Amino acid sequence: MSWISTIIFLPVVFLVIILLLPSRFREWYRYITLGTAILQAGIACIIYLRFDQAGSDGFQFLEKVPWIHLSLGNLGRLEIDYFLGVDGLSAPLLILSAVVMVAAAISSWEIKENMKGYFALFLLMDAAIMGVFCALDFFLFYVFYELMLLPLYFLIGMWGGPRREYAALKFFLYTLFGSVFMLLVIVGLYFSVTDPVSGAYTFNMLHMMDAANFVPGAVFSPEVVQTILGVPARLLGFAVIFIAFAIKVPVVPLHTWLPDAHVEAPTPISIILAGLLLKIGGYGILRICFGIFPDSALYFSWFIGMLGVISILYGALNALAMKDLKKLIAYSSVSHMGFVLLGFASFTTEGTSGALLQMVSHGILSTMLFFLVGVLYNRVHDRFIPNFRGLASHMPHYTAFVMVAFFASLGLPGFSAFIAEAFTLIGTFNSQSVNGLLPRWMAIAGSLGILLSAAYFLWTLQRMFFGTTRFRGGEAWSKQLIDLRPHEWAVLLPMALLTLMLGIFPSLFFDLSNSALANMVQELFETGKRHLDSLQYTNNLRF
Amino acid sequence: MTSLIIVSVLAVAVLYLGLFKYKTALLPVSVTGLLAAAAMAAMDWDLEKMYFSEMMLFDNYAVAFSILLILTTLLIFGLSRNYFEKISNNVAEYYALMLFALAGGVVMVSFHNLAMLFIGIEILSISLYVLAGIRRKDPASNEASLKYFLMGAFATGFLLFGTALIYGATGSFNLAAIASSGAFESALFRAGVLLMMVGLSFKVSVAPFHTWTPDVYEGSPGLIAMFMATVVKTAGFAAFLRLFLMAFAEASAFWAITVAILCILTLFAGNITAVFQDRFKRLLAWSSVSHAGYLLLAILAVGFSASSAVLVYTIAYSLASVAAFGIMILVSRARGNDHLDSFNGLARTNPFLAFTLTLAVCSLAGIPLTAGFFGKFYVFKVALAQGYTWLVVLAVINAMIGIYYYFKVIIAMYMKENANAVAIQLNPGFRLVLSIVVFLIFLFGIFPGLIANIL
Amino acid sequence: MLLQSSASSYLPILIQGIMALAFVGITMVITHLVGPKRRTIDKLTPFESGISSVGNARSPFSIKYFLVAILFVLFDVEVIFMYPWAVNFRELGGKGMIEMFVFMGMLLLGFFYVIRKGALDWEK
Repeated sequence: MSWISTIIFLPVVFLVIILLLPSRFREWYRYITLGTAILQAGIACIIYLRFDQAGSDGFQFLEKVPWIHLSLGNLGRLEIDYFLGVDGLSAPLLILSAVVMVAAAISSWEIKENMKGYFALFLLMDAAIMGVFCALDFFLFYVFYELMLLPLYFLIGMWGGPRREYAALKFFLYTLFGSVFMLLVIVGLYFSVTDPVSGAYTFNMLHMMDAANFVPGAVFSPEVVQTILGVPARLLGFAVIFIAFAIKVPVVPLHTWLPDAHVEAPTPISIILAGLLLKIGGYGILRICFGIFPDSALYFSWFIGMLGVISILYGALNALAMKDLKKLIAYSSVSHMGFVLLGFASFTTEGTSGALLQMVSHGILSTMLFFLVGVLYNRVHDRFIPNFRGLASHMPHYTAFVMVAFFASLGLPGFSAFIAEAFTLIGTFNSQSVNGLLPRWMAIAGSLGILLSAAYFLWTLQRMFFGTTRFRGGEAWSKQLIDLRPHEWAVLLPMALLTLMLGIFPSLFFDLSNSALANMVQELFETGKRHLDSLQYTNNLRF
Repeated sequence: MTSLIIVSVLAVAVLYLGLFKYKTALLPVSVTGLLAAAAMAAMDWDLEKMYFSEMMLFDNYAVAFSILLILTTLLIFGLSRNYFEKISNNVAEYYALMLFALAGGVVMVSFHNLAMLFIGIEILSISLYVLAGIRRKDPASNEASLKYFLMGAFATGFLLFGTALIYGATGSFNLAAIASSGAFESALFRAGVLLMMVGLSFKVSVAPFHTWTPDVYEGSPGLIAMFMATVVKTAGFAAFLRLFLMAFAEASAFWAITVAILCILTLFAGNITAVFQDRFKRLLAWSSVSHAGYLLLAILAVGFSASSAVLVYTIAYSLASVAAFGIMILVSRARGNDHLDSFNGLARTNPFLAFTLTLAVCSLAGIPLTAGFFGKFYVFKVALAQGYTWLVVLAVINAMIGIYYYFKVIIAMYMKENANAVAIQLNPGFRLVLSIVVFLIFLFGIFPGLIANIL
Repeated sequence: MLLQSSASSYLPILIQGIMALAFVGITMVITHLVGPKRRTIDKLTPFESGISSVGNARSPFSIKYFLVAILFVLFDVEVIFMYPWAVNFRELGGKGMIEMFVFMGMLLLGFFYVIRKGALDWEK
């Protein structure tokens, strides 16, 4: 077992232990889960330290074991491998996952009922999320991706708020809608790509990313235009997978599950949803959509950038209108994830690095934000903005962390989000002169989004925290609203330090990913350009 | 062949055990006999033996499906302790009839002659007509029996007519002779193929010949409905595929379009109607219609490991159905009906049952790491390899619809409360069978190579 | 023997069917038209051996009649299988003999089952 398998299967081991422990030890479940998360974070540190930063464009910690091998008669052989590895793109996200999991485990202290089920599902989801970031076999990726959904469905549906059934099913069906169609593209890719060594069809993503491995004349071959139902196959395949991940990100027309899921989910699940699940969408777009279909990504880049801009502005405007604090933060997530899309679409190293850092930074910040909402909600079971006023004098420590999180999120220099958004916008701005994919006004529209985020965060700060102390619940609430407890400090302080650290020393992150992203962007652009020129799609979508 | 003899003799033996009032011996004798039959079937592996002047052929296809049918029946028998005793006094007859039906099923998967196909279907069907009406005092059971009988007899007419026309066109009942007759262009042959397709579609409840399914499933006792959904459907599809693979494969250009249309109709009819069901048994009945649609998808891919795809799919489907129907029986017995509301709060009172049912419906819905996922994946894959992209896209949309209604029962179990629900008592048979099913669903979900490499 | 046949080969059968139906129809119509009619009460009442009719003709009677009748038909039909065996007795030889005994054994098992179940007990 190497480190990566350990980080994935550690939760499974403890899951079994929890299932075997009788309910009378139910207090232990929390500590076991927290212990697992801390162990994982330790392993993540080891991975970080052992990671060869100079060679981050290649995959490291590789593991490959045959999993499903069957003969399909005249269709050849079906070979699915248990194939794992990380590179400069997935390593930061894997480490982020381990960190966010610790925070989520601590905030799971609020769960009081049916603890065995909760922590078992939590650990299962933990394993699946780690697996998604490490899987290099597309089938394995899909299995982890789907495996993550089911525990989440139950976690929202059983421990959620009043409309939890609706929210859980909506979340589940939305995601599944994307992923089942993705399965079809996976099968199509399987029939298009062969292993250069053995010559057999393969699910190996690394082979899929290399255009030389495509079978000439196969459905997704980049050499000639194959059409499915009149649409060029590669464009269709790209669009299908893009929609699957765009639902996860979420990109604006497909985002409606997110506010519902967040409002109903318990705090730790909100943290995982915003902190990790949205990142899986972004990761999938870059690794799979762009990696396998670079030509289609170039073809659609204007469109993707546009979706990013729409997400940024629409999310921000919605956040301005929200009265529920949790919904506000949910929409701010939509807005912030728009930058990720914009950065990817720019096809510049700056933009892509910025987008990846934005994912990491948003992972940390949304953890803080949702945790902070959870703190409030656990005390008085209310989170409507108009019901609170003057919290600053009542809960000074709490307010301090809220201010850190808010200012970091709105892009104050010195915090990670500033670097991330600045790089993304620089990349977008340069795109017109470097490769001519995105017009400059998209960068300007993106910065307008930062302005709007400043507006809603500052306005919320003003409404809830400043002024004379007045609560809707009166005296009773004043008593309940005590300041931060030690375990809450334990989550918030490291997170605040992390975002500060990444803001002041962004090289901690950039060293990890830079050479990978620089290589990747250049290679994607070149191969994409070459194929796009040779394929000669008619009626270009770039307006 | 030995296994078929064992099953038939076993049925008679069970009948006589009942006659001489050895009621306690019924189950042990049946189970031992079935195990012996499965073992004998496994001995025929790779032998490819013909029997009775090429009337039957025990090739690997026949052996694999025979074993599947026998083992599924074994699982159902594992659930039947104290089940029939509550319905009637003539317990031995039910075991005997199920064994006779099983014998018919074994004939259906090993025929090499249209006459044997017909005989197999009749043995299976006639036993089922009786089994469906087992609750003599219950009008619903009577209705189920009569409806099934009338519809089944009607379908048999089509099947026979088709057989006759094919005989007219090719001059033989033998599958190999039909395949090599070269009469595929003649109108008689084509009419024969279509009529046989109609007859078989009735039997496996493919739309638009599915209308009997929900009423018959609902009226029949739960275990019999389970038997219909698993053994009968598996045997029906194995026979369907065997016929089209061994006799009509060369003419696939002609019938493929019809099967494709049937497939679309079945998928939509089954899934969309299932969405509106509020009784679990009817929901399962409609979902069984929809699963026939997925299986038709595999039949379209004749020659492209279709038999392996059908085997994997039917194994996954049978396992999940045994669990789903089994828990439906327990719940409707304990709470009075099989309404979805009866499942409320099951997760609190019986976590094991709730978990098993969740796993079963996840497998039916095709969620990864369950056997059902790989079944669907495999079927979609062979259909895509044949170029049926449109059809697979429609099937995927239907899989989505399926997930919606399967999850209704999960929602009921885990997210709704029932204040006065009490824990349901499980007898050891149920506990054992459900545990085996859970284990196998996981095993085949994680290592699908175990079953996908058989054929 | 003609192995291959087409739809047109069935034309004679079709013609025969039409002729048969036509014959039935024509004779019914003609007798109806030609025969004399005299409608009196005595003529229209059902004939029951000269005794005046009592009650409804469609009165229920015991299911046992059906049971006995169906069992009779069942065994009667199965015994028919003896004829082809008897005709080919020499050709089938010893193997045929054993197979026929197995068949008869199964039939007898069924018969014994029926008797033991009391299906033929009239009084029960």
